[in-house]
This record gives sequence, C-alpha cells and structure tokens, in this order.
Amino acid sequence: MDMSYLDLLMAQQEEVTEAEGGGGVWVVADLANGTVAPVTLEALGAARTLADALGAYVYGVLLGDGVSDGSTALTTSLAQTLYQAGADGVRVADHPSLARFALEPYLAVLAGLFEAEQPEVVLFGATGAGQELAARLAQRLGGGLIEHVTAVRLDEATRTVEATFPIYGGEYSEIAACPEARPQFLTIEPRAFPAPFIDTYRQGEPTMIEVDPVEPAVRVLGPADDFEPPALPLAQAPVIVAAGRQAGDFELVHQLAAALGGRVAGDRGARDAGWIGPQQVVDVRGVTVAPQVYVAVGIRGDTFHDAAIAESKFIAAIHPDPDAPIFQVADLCLEAEPAEVLPALLEALEK
Amino acid sequence: MDFTFAPEHVALRRMIREFAKNEVAPIAAEIDREGRVPFETLKKLAQIGLLGVCFPQKYGGMGAGETGYCILMEELGRICTSTATNVGAHIGIGAMSIYLDGTEEQKQKYLMPLARGAKIGAFVLTEADAGSDAAAIRTRAVRDGNEWIINGTKTFNTNGSFAEIVTVMTVTDPTLGAHGGMTAFIVEAGTPGFKVGTHENKMGIRGSSTAELVFEDVRVPHENVLGKVGEGFISFMKTLDMGRLTLGAACLGGAEAALEASIHWAKTRKQFGAPLAHKQSVQWMIADMATEIEALRSLVYRVAWMVDTGQSFTQLAAMCKMYGSEVASRAIDTALQIHGGLGYSRDYPVERNFRDARIAEIFEGTNEIQRIVIASNIFRQHGVRIRP
Amino acid sequence: MQIVVILGQVLDPSGIVVKGKAGRIFVNREEYVLQPADKCALEAALRIKDTTNAKVMALPRGPLPNDDVLRQALAMGADRAVYLTTRRVANPPYGDAVMADVLAAAVEKLGGADLLLTGATTLDTGQGQLGPRLAEALGWPQIVGAWQVASRRVSESAGGRVEAVLQRAGNYVTVEADLPAVVTVLPGALKPRYPDGVRLINVYRAEDAVERWDVSDLVDEASLQPLLEKRGQDFPPERELGVRLSGTPEEMAQALADALRERVSR
Repeated sequence: MDMSYLDLLMAQQEEVTEAEGGGGVWVVADLANGTVAPVTLEALGAARTLADALGAYVYGVLLGDGVSDGSTALTTSLAQTLYQAGADGVRVADHPSLARFALEPYLAVLAGLFEAEQPEVVLFGATGAGQELAARLAQRLGGGLIEHVTAVRLDEATRTVEATFPIYGGEYSEIAACPEARPQFLTIEPRAFPAPFIDTYRQGEPTMIEVDPVEPAVRVLGPADDFEPPALPLAQAPVIVAAGRQAGDFELVHQLAAALGGRVAGDRGARDAGWIGPQQVVDVRGVTVAPQVYVAVGIRGDTFHDAAIAESKFIAAIHPDPDAPIFQVADLCLEAEPAEVLPALLEALEK
Repeated sequence: MDFTFAPEHVALRRMIREFAKNEVAPIAAEIDREGRVPFETLKKLAQIGLLGVCFPQKYGGMGAGETGYCILMEELGRICTSTATNVGAHIGIGAMSIYLDGTEEQKQKYLMPLARGAKIGAFVLTEADAGSDAAAIRTRAVRDGNEWIINGTKTFNTNGSFAEIVTVMTVTDPTLGAHGGMTAFIVEAGTPGFKVGTHENKMGIRGSSTAELVFEDVRVPHENVLGKVGEGFISFMKTLDMGRLTLGAACLGGAEAALEASIHWAKTRKQFGAPLAHKQSVQWMIADMATEIEALRSLVYRVAWMVDTGQSFTQLAAMCKMYGSEVASRAIDTALQIHGGLGYSRDYPVERNFRDARIAEIFEGTNEIQRIVIASNIFRQHGVRIRP
Repeated sequence: MQIVVILGQVLDPSGIVVKGKAGRIFVNREEYVLQPADKCALEAALRIKDTTNAKVMALPRGPLPNDDVLRQALAMGADRAVYLTTRRVANPPYGDAVMADVLAAAVEKLGGADLLLTGATTLDTGQGQLGPRLAEALGWPQIVGAWQVASRRVSESAGGRVEAVLQRAGNYVTVEADLPAVVTVLPGALKPRYPDGVRLINVYRAEDAVERWDVSDLVDEASLQPLLEKRGQDFPPERELGVRLSGTPEEMAQALADALRERVSR
C-alpha cells in the first residue's frame, strides 16, 4: 500500500459541525491530574453506541478552572480529547469557583445547562463527584438514575436505556430502565466499558457556558491528620499477594503487593522461611481469606492452603511445576519461575 | 403447640451470635493456649446486660428468662466452651443461688451487682473428698454471736479465684448430715481468711479458672445465711437443677459447632477423586450427629419453656445435662474422625473443642448422678423409693 | 438537636447461592439484616447522642416487610422509630426517587431535623442515591461518603455545624457544613455498638414500640410513579479454572498484568 497516500487521506482533518442543542446523550467529564479521566473516555464510548442507536448526538461537558484557556496547550486539549473520543459537541464552564469539585457550583452550571438542553441520557463516571452530582441532578430534574452501570443496551422502541449493574458486589447483575422520566441518568463503572477509539484528527470548537458563581455549602477545613481508618484484617483484605517456598526473591513479592495496593501473606512454607509471621499464614490452620484478587507466587498448593482461598473471586498462580495442585483452583496459571515473571510483571503494571 | 421463639428471643439470639463472632471467636484459641480467663469478654458481656440475662429487670437483670439464658449458653458454647463455662458459673449457679433463695435485702445487695455484671459470682460446693457425694462436705460453719466462722478447703471451683461474691456450702450440724445439717452462706472476696489456693492445670476449658479455695476462720454476718440455717442441701439441689438445663444448652452449641465443622470439611476435603460428603460412612456420621442435635435442641428448649412457665423440671433438666454432654462428646469425637489428621492439629479448632467437651460429662453432677436423679424420679412417680 | 437516621434491610448474602449456569438465585436461608452502611450511620448518630442531648429518630428506606430494623434501632438507643405502611402493595412504586419525596415529608411531619444520616451505599444494589436525592428534596447540603461524623456547636447565635472526614483523591480531609445537612456514612466506617440487652427485650416485647404512619398521610400516594423498572437479571460467566497462559515469561507477565489491572482499582 502506498503509505504516503494513506497519510494524505488521514491528514484531511475532520471538522465536527457543532451539533445544535436539544436531546442527545451527554457525558459530564471527570478530570484527574489535569487530564480527562479514563472513565470519561469509556463513558463517551458508551455514549456513542447509545447515540448512534438513538440517532442523536453525543455531547461532552467540561467544568473546571483554566480548562479552556487557549494560552496553554494542555488545557485546550481537554475539550479536544472529548471530540477525539467521539463527542459531537462540547460545552465548557471555566471559572475559578469550579477549580475543584464542589457540589453547589457544579450543580448550578449543570442544572441550568440540562434544563435548557433537555438531554435524553446523561452519563457520569461512577466517581465520588459523579455520584453526588448525578443523584442531585436526577432529583432536581425529575430523572431516573442507575448507578455503577457495567453494560447498556438501548430499547429502541421507547428510546430507553437498559442498564446492567452489579448486585452483592458482582455475584450477579440486575438490569433496570427508566422508561418515561427524562433525562435518564447513569453513572458508568470504571473499567467496565472499553476505551473508545481516539480519532486524533477529530476536532471542534467548544461552546462556553456562562457561570454565575455559587458558594459551596460544604467547606474543606484541611487534611484529617489525626484520622486513622479502621484496620482491615487479612481475612477481609480485597487484594492479597501470597508467597510460597518457590517464590524466590521475597522483596519482589512485597513490591507486587505494593503495586496492587494489596496485603502480603504466604503459606506455611513462607512462614518456615521466615518471610511472614504466623498471622499472615493462609491455611485452614491459619487465616482463611476471601479477596477479590489472590496472587499465589511460588505456592505449590494443597487442600489446607487451597481451602483457605476457596472464596476468592480471582486467583492467579505462578509456579514452575506444571503439576502443582494450585493450578487446579487458580483462574490464571503461569507455569514459570516467579523470578522470571515478577520483574516483567512489575514493569508491565507500571505502564 | 407453637414451636417458634418469641420475637425478643430471636432478636437476642441474633445479637449474641454477632457478639460471639466478633468478640469471643477471635480470642478463643489464644485464651486456651495462654490458659487465661478473658476478663475483657466478661466486661463486654456485662456492658450489654448479658451477665444477668435470666434475672428479672427489677433485680438488674435482662428479664429474658431461662429461654434467653439457654440461647446465651448455646451461642457461646458454639464458639468457645471456656467462655460459656465462665458465664455459666457466674449466672447459672453463682447468681442463681441468691436469686432462688435470697431474701429481698440479699437480692438488692448481692444479686443486683451480679446481674449487672459489676461483680462476678461463683458457687462453691465441691471438696476433695466430696464430689458426687456432695453431702460429705466437711467445711464447717460455727456460730459465734451474730457471726458465723467458716473453716475448710474447697476444690475444683470455677470462677472462685476471681469472683467477688461466692455462695459457699458448709456443714453447720455434722450429726444431721444432708437433712438439716448444711447451710449456705454468701461470702465476699476480700473477707479476711478467704484465700485462693492452687489453680488446676486442666485438659480443657483452659480459658476458665478452676482453683482451690481456702477458708481460714472466715467470719460472715448472720445476714449472709442464704436460705435457712440447716436447709443448705435443699438450696443447692435447686440451684444445680437450674444449672443443668443451661449446661445442656451449652453442649447443644458445642455439638452444633462440631456438626458445622464436619459438614464444611466433608464438602471441602477430596479423597479418591471426590469430596468426603460422597462417602456413605461420612453421610451416616453426619445424619446421626444432626439427628441427636435436633433431639437435644427440642429437649433443651422445651425444658426452658417449662421453667419459664413455672412447671416442675428436675428430671428433665437432668436429662438435658446427661444427654447434652454425651451428644456433644459424640459429636466432637465424630468431627475429629471426619477431619482426620487436620483435626488432631493444635492449629485447628477441632482439637480444642475435643478437649473442652469432655468435662461436661463430669462436672455439674457426673452423668452417673444424673442417671440416678432421673431413675429416682421415675420410680418415685411409680411408688418406689430408691434406696441410696 | 434532632437527628434522623434512614435504615433499610437487605437479604443476608451468605444465605444465597447464585447459580450462573441455571440463571437462578437460590435462597437457602432467608435472613434479613440491617443494611451495613445504614447501621454505621445509626452508630454515628448514637455517638453524637452520647456526647450531646441529641434525640435520634429512625425512619425506614421504604415500606419494609416488617419493622425489625426499626426495633433494632430502638434497642441500640434511638429515641423514636417510625414504620411506614402503604396501600400500594400490588404495584409498589417505591424506588429511591419516590422515597426521597416521601421521606422529606416524613421529616417535616417529625417536626424537622438538624441532621439526617444514612448509609452511603446499599449492600445489594450498590446504589447510593437516596441520601443525595433526599438532600435535594429537603434543600440541604450533602456530605457523601463519610468515615467519621461529629457535630459542632459554633456559638449561641449561630446554628450548629456538622464535621466529617472524607476521602478525596486518596487523602483524608475534614469538611464541614452548616446544619441542617445530610451526611451519608460508609459501610465499615464505624464499629456499631451492640444493643443494650434490657432495651432489646423491652422493645421486642412492646407491640407498639415502633410508631406506624401510612404513606398516604405524607404524600398523595395514589399519584406516586416509580421512575425505574426491572428489566431482568444477568449472570457472570462460569468461572473457568486452570487456564494456562502460554509464551515467554514476559508475555505471560503482560497477560497477567492486563488481567490484574482489570480487577484492581489503583
């Protein structure tokens, strides 16, 4: 294929005609560390699917301070990121009072916007701010809200979104819909939807929203220095990295636990090796655990250890012996030396 | 016939189960290993009123009746026999003796702090030469003006080493023996001459205190006579009757724990390609265990109902204790067999429960005595007085 | 000071088994427990009551099948508890949106309140919207997802304030709002107390311990419309055990990293 011809074609940038108001699928962006949060991009992907089926447009909303200042390249690109992820229109509210999330200032902007625009569907990321805003807006505007959505399907006849959300933390899911009330509000669960295709040649001219500053009702006093969250026992830890006799370098096990935000544990072999204390032994004769994620590094596995991890939601095991009993109970099995896998795993997680 | 529990008892059981799971279970192995009494648990139980569960609210109790007390013992027995023993000695025989035989003044002065859990109680009867033959006690109480002087040594006493209020059985007239010669006294810890002797080094229930108590010229006022002078034997028979029922309830809890552990292990442990649950020998063990537990549960709560409705229950309480202790022993023995080598490990609760369960057939009146009580009652109803 | 706590009940998940393949949920033991986050909210209210002369009143998250959670609240130390009855049994409209209006009316009937506490999320449906919806219906500020809650009396002339510890961007911060306000409490934030035994027995023996109001006394019940409707259930795929990764250790590490990233929020 003639690469230069392709380049030529793609260089014809797509200028998005700003969509006129009324209806549509709207996504309120979450910002993290000065960039558009991954969940917002995932929500835009979901919004695109819904909008295409509805025959409607996708709009993005950006709120913040300095988010539209053309003088700094970084901030201009926030709106452009939304276009690149599939938005047909972007509204921007740029004001010092919106620098950090506070309910009343954000609510005033969004309520005014949505009252004027009458969206069909509004998506937020299921973040702290998203949850607060979605619920309050839904009540104010008389819309229905479904939180922590992991999948959507459009009931085209009634232009209603059927949203799937987890029950009992994911044991199963229920599907709900808001057949009549509008807008339909959804908060999108992070990592549940795929990231959309980022079309870097797509761009647009966002519309600025006038902001009448409003005082937040909740004042941040400062860091809670004396506050100690209640200690979580190993039996309730959501992520555990456990070492066995074949774990190799125990320091890497520690690093893996740190990278995943998990707790370090081990089997009896690790205790014998002096790597862990008696309170960290995962065994029916020690601690029985039920984490979301259990990574067994160099643990051979036997009835007594395996019974103590039976309630884990996801088990990954790394062990050199292909016949290791742990492979019977693990979801993902890596027949390899931990010493060979862990460094690469730590590197891959850092990206 | 309505076999359902009253709403307050359902709520009580739920609360105690939550308590046992959060406060008792985490330290059960530790108190056994260290051989220490969990005073912190007793304090927490006192704070929510459980140390007076069966006593009327006007005496500082909770007013939940014998049914409520059986629920407490069952739920504690399910988790930690040592804790159940500490609690049972305090409520079931210590405070109970004052509830059954105390004057109004004695109830106000002694029962109230015991029911509130502000003070711990104990019931002191057994001596080295007087176990089953309780009437053979030799601790002597002699009247001196408005006081009595007590001398003697008691053995195998639960709670006595740290209790603040104890009920002591003495001989006041050696010539009369059981009928007219025994008297019960309320003695407060700290009374000069009342000392704690040697602690027993026990096979099980190591989280409870079993000790010798020594009385050397211990002076107690005449107001502290519990019941009437000379009627001590009747007094303690009544108290022990009540205690038997609730020991049966604790055994019920222990047996239930053995059954749950056995079911869990039978599901989990695979041998010869399938979980143990698929082996008929194990199925029969589980079926027998479960059936005995159902029978025991019906017996215990029926007798609790009889007590709460004022019916006579001596023979049935003895059955609760006798049958309960044997069901619990059989259940934990079977559980140990089902667990195999794992059950023998000190790092797994089954072996502790095995050691703990055995005492129930011995204390609170040996099962041999219980059988005599049952048989005597039966024959007396048929006109035959058994010769002792 | 008047504190209102909103309590709900949930089926204990340890009594249910989900069989994905059969597409069914088997309830082996039908036992309902107080929503854990709501229980923490109640504990937060009772802790404020411990140190002030606040009164705590318990309201239900909706018309519940029985008044057990309200009795539990009384046993733990609440001063009043109200159970809501409804005539709309056939097609109950009681979702969070409707309940926000009903409960706002209930708070008014109670004579108003200074502080309203409820759980930040429900154990079963994972929905945290009732608190904020209620705050909007009452027109009060909201503090969502608190680890700790305390009330402050600023001065005789000024009203009270509520102070809470929240997590924002991974850090713990202290925030405050003027009363009246709505605060939602995280599950596991506080260790709830055990009910007092005597109170427990007396509350469960007294038939009329919990007051009973009908929803029609609060709002026009006949015109209530639910906003959401159930459209079905979905079951996760059967867990496939023993999946062996192939390739070099680096490739396996990459695949494992992807799988972990999907499941761990960092």
